[in-house]
Amino acid sequence: MKKNIYYFDNSATTWPKPECVLNNLKYFLNEIGGSPGRSGHRMSIAASRLIEETRETVGKFFNYDDTSRIIFTKNITESLNICIFSLLKAGDHVITTNSEHNSVMRPLRFLEKKGLKITIVKCNRFGELDIHDIKNSIVKNTKMVILTHASNVIGTILPIEEIANLTFKKNIPFVIDCAQTAGSVPIGINLGKYKNCIIAFTGHKAMLGPTGTGGLCIGKDVSLKPLVFGGTGSKSDEDTQPNFLPDSLESGTMNVLGLAALKASVNYLLKMGVDKIREHEKNLITRFIEEASKIKRIELYGTKEAEKQASLISFNLKNLSPSAAGLILDKKYSIMCRIGLHCNPNAHKVIGTFPNGTIRFSFSYFNNLKQIDYAIEKIKEISRIE
Amino acid sequence: MEGVITFFSSQQVMKAEKFLKKNGYKTLLIPGPREISPNCGVALCFDFKKKDEIKKLFDEKNFVYEDFHYYPEAKKISKWL
Repeated sequence: MKKNIYYFDNSATTWPKPECVLNNLKYFLNEIGGSPGRSGHRMSIAASRLIEETRETVGKFFNYDDTSRIIFTKNITESLNICIFSLLKAGDHVITTNSEHNSVMRPLRFLEKKGLKITIVKCNRFGELDIHDIKNSIVKNTKMVILTHASNVIGTILPIEEIANLTFKKNIPFVIDCAQTAGSVPIGINLGKYKNCIIAFTGHKAMLGPTGTGGLCIGKDVSLKPLVFGGTGSKSDEDTQPNFLPDSLESGTMNVLGLAALKASVNYLLKMGVDKIREHEKNLITRFIEEASKIKRIELYGTKEAEKQASLISFNLKNLSPSAAGLILDKKYSIMCRIGLHCNPNAHKVIGTFPNGTIRFSFSYFNNLKQIDYAIEKIKEISRIE
Repeated sequence: MEGVITFFSSQQVMKAEKFLKKNGYKTLLIPGPREISPNCGVALCFDFKKKDEIKKLFDEKNFVYEDFHYYPEAKKISKWL
C-alpha cells in the first residue's frame, strides 16, 4: 500500500479499496477461474454462481430483487449508452440538464444529428434544478428523461425521487446516472414502485469495486435493446440474439474477475451502511468548506452546504491556474486531485469556469479529517504564491 | 523547462514521453494547462531550447501531437516543486 499519499480524486475512481476486494480478486483467480454460463463443469458453474451472487448483492444494495433485470457492463458510460441508443431514435424527444457528463451528452449529441430533439433544462449556478422546468418540457413524443443524481463538477444532488414520481405518472422512462452517488449517497428510488426508472451505476467509484465494472438496474416497464451482440452461453442453437434478460444485454465473456471483487465491495457497503458512509463524508465536506472559505484567494463553487452535495467540491485559486495548482499539490505535497473540465463542459459554462476548469477534491470513506486539515493547510500555502 | 507539448490523447503523451526519455531528454508530465489547450488531461514539459530538434524527431517518427507551446508559467511553477 502506498504511504503518505493524500488521495482526493475519488470521483474519478476510489482509492484505496477495502481489503476484501483484493482478497476476492485473488480468490477468483486461484479458486474459481472458470468462464460463467458456458461450460458445464464445476469451475464454470462456480463462476456462474458467483455472478448470480453478485447480482443478488447489488440487488440488495439498490433494494431490487429481480436479479434478471440487473445487468453488468464494463462501466457506467456503457450502461448509459445502452439506455440512450436503445430507447431513443430520430424524431423522439429527450429531456436532460446542463449538469450532464459527456457520457450522457455525447451519445445524445450524436443522435441529435440524426434527428433527436433535446431539451436541456437549466440548473442554476449552484447546480439546483426546478422540477417545474422538467414538467413543462414534457411533450407528446418525450421518450426519456435522463439526468445525473449529482453533478460531477460541483456535487449538487438533484431531486430524483420527485422526477421519478413525475415521469412514472407520465409513463416516461427515467434514466438516473448514479456515477457520483451509488455507494456514497442513498439513492432512495424504489424500482418496485417506479417501474419506469433505470438506475445506472459504476462499480469503481463509491461502490469501492475495481475498474471495468458497472451496470443497470432496469425497472419492469422499460425494455432495452443490446448495444453489443454475440455469445451469451444461452440459446446456442440459434444464431440470433436471445431476447431475455440479463443475457440479451450481456454478450461476450463477462468481467467475472471484476464482478467477484464488486461482490466483496458491495457486501462491505451493506455491512457498513451507506447512511454511515454519507455521515462520514458529509463531515469531511463540511470541514473542507468551512476551512477553505477562510482562504483569501479561493473561490468555492456549488451550494457550499454539505447536505446538498455529493462528496466532492470544486474551487479555484485567484493566483494559480488549476493545472499549476494540481501539479504543485501532487509533486510537492502528494495530494491527488483532479483539475480541468471533468468531461463536463456544460456545467463549467454555467459556473463560469470554462475553459480553464476548476480544482476538484472528492472524498471517500477512507479519507479523514486529519487529511482534510492537511489539504487545507497546503491549499492555503499555495494560495500565497506570487 | 519552459516548453509544453500538448496532445489529443493520453496514449500519444505516454508514447512520446517514453521515446524522449529513452533518447536522453529531460521531461515532466503535468496536468494539461487548459489556458493553452482543452485537450488531454496530461501534457509534456520540455526544454524549450530543444523545440526544433524534438519537433523534427516527432515528425520523423510520425508522432501525433497537438502543438508545441512556450509556457513561461512552467518556470514559475518549477520553483515551487
